[in-house]
Amino acid sequence: MTESIFFYALIGSFCSMDVTAFGQFMICRPIFCASVVGYFMGDVNTGLWIGMIVELLWVNAIPMGVIVPVDVSLISILSTFWVCKYFLGVQEAAVFALVLAVPFAYFYRDIDISGRNFNTKIMHFVEDGIKNQEYWRMHAAIYVGLFLFALRLFLFYLFAMYVGGLIYSGLYLQLSQFIILGLRNAWYLLPIVGFALVIKEFNIFRKLFFKEL
Amino acid sequence: MIKVYIKMFVRSFFLQALWNFERMQNIGFVYILKPFLDKVYLDEKSKQEALIRHMGYFNTHPYMANLLFAIVASLEKEKSENKANSLDISISGIKNQMAGPLAAIGDPLFFGSLRPLVACFSILVMLLFMKFLDQSFQEYAIFVPIIFIVGYNVFHIVSRCWLMFIGFKFGKDSFSVISNSKTLMPIIKYAGFVVAIVALFVYLLIFKSSPISNLFFGIKENDLALYIIVFLFSIIFSRLGVIFLLYSIIIICSLVSYLRI
Repeated sequence: MTESIFFYALIGSFCSMDVTAFGQFMICRPIFCASVVGYFMGDVNTGLWIGMIVELLWVNAIPMGVIVPVDVSLISILSTFWVCKYFLGVQEAAVFALVLAVPFAYFYRDIDISGRNFNTKIMHFVEDGIKNQEYWRMHAAIYVGLFLFALRLFLFYLFAMYVGGLIYSGLYLQLSQFIILGLRNAWYLLPIVGFALVIKEFNIFRKLFFKEL
Repeated sequence: MIKVYIKMFVRSFFLQALWNFERMQNIGFVYILKPFLDKVYLDEKSKQEALIRHMGYFNTHPYMANLLFAIVASLEKEKSENKANSLDISISGIKNQMAGPLAAIGDPLFFGSLRPLVACFSILVMLLFMKFLDQSFQEYAIFVPIIFIVGYNVFHIVSRCWLMFIGFKFGKDSFSVISNSKTLMPIIKYAGFVVAIVALFVYLLIFKSSPISNLFFGIKENDLALYIIVFLFSIIFSRLGVIFLLYSIIIICSLVSYLRI
């Protein structure tokens, strides 16, 4: 249990770093990272399905300017991890995991904003270094920035996977039958919601049919 | 010089490693430019001045930044050769003036069009696998994320290389070269729209008789009607946000289940 949490927290932090800190190769996108976590945990189908839902729903989550969007890789990785760990292959449990992962992602966003504020201090440290011709500070700052980014993600994943997992499994077992049936319906309906959002996102469709909406 | 260009290209992936609210990508930009400045400015004083010049506010699309640092590098080289002080203002001015418009091109092109297109294509492949592979889907499912990553990054990496090349070749005039390729965005958007529609139809084809029909209406014929209702509901209330849609669908589903029980 402990080893696997460390392993998946490492994968999660590596994928989530791609959002802003390094590369933007889109390994942070749910369709990729949820599938990979699902593959390692022995249920790639659930990972893909969760990835599809989150990818379609948050298709327009773009880090633009000062906007820090919710980390969709965190939502997809956490929900895939929880469902594969506690209720492997149960569709209803996967939707419930998604429901619970969203608040965790919003919580992490606040931590991320604090981290970015701390980067300002490092930036001033580099600026002073350049004025004194100490250029090593620039290299150090880049690596320290990346390390801190990875560290806060890793620690958050550890916390969310363990504590969140306990909350998730405990709550799911308490759910009434009608809620479980509702979650099962949502499993099939959420992709439709996602498709609607994607189609609306492509402006061409909006111009043709939904200009007034 | 090729080594310097390669170094700059590799470093361009670290542009946002120290993203901060005060000056955003400034450290990343200076970090990318440093190998080039080491090469063109042989005296420490000029190099220091150049580095300080680029410590100001900077923010653009991370892929489009490749064009901008190539332009800035060309201008820095020019400055190192003729030592004109007027170029200081010119370099900073061009950098600041181009960052905004480049971001305005990059965000809708890469994140707003290309990424949803490739994602929808991967989802379409996944649904086709589900339909035609059936039992052996599990074996081939891992190809779906691979298709997404390879498909996206082929375009991504090539674009970064091309933008850097354009920046070094055309310098200040690069923007006109970029704006000539504006026909690309509508093509990607049309393609994305078509792929999303096809994926939706394939989805409906596969899940036309899913368990939800029995739970909501009791008869399978109304399955499509339910999907259309959810689709229109999502379009109409999309302005209220994803969170609203996600939780409202789940709450409505649970309520309907409760009423039926």
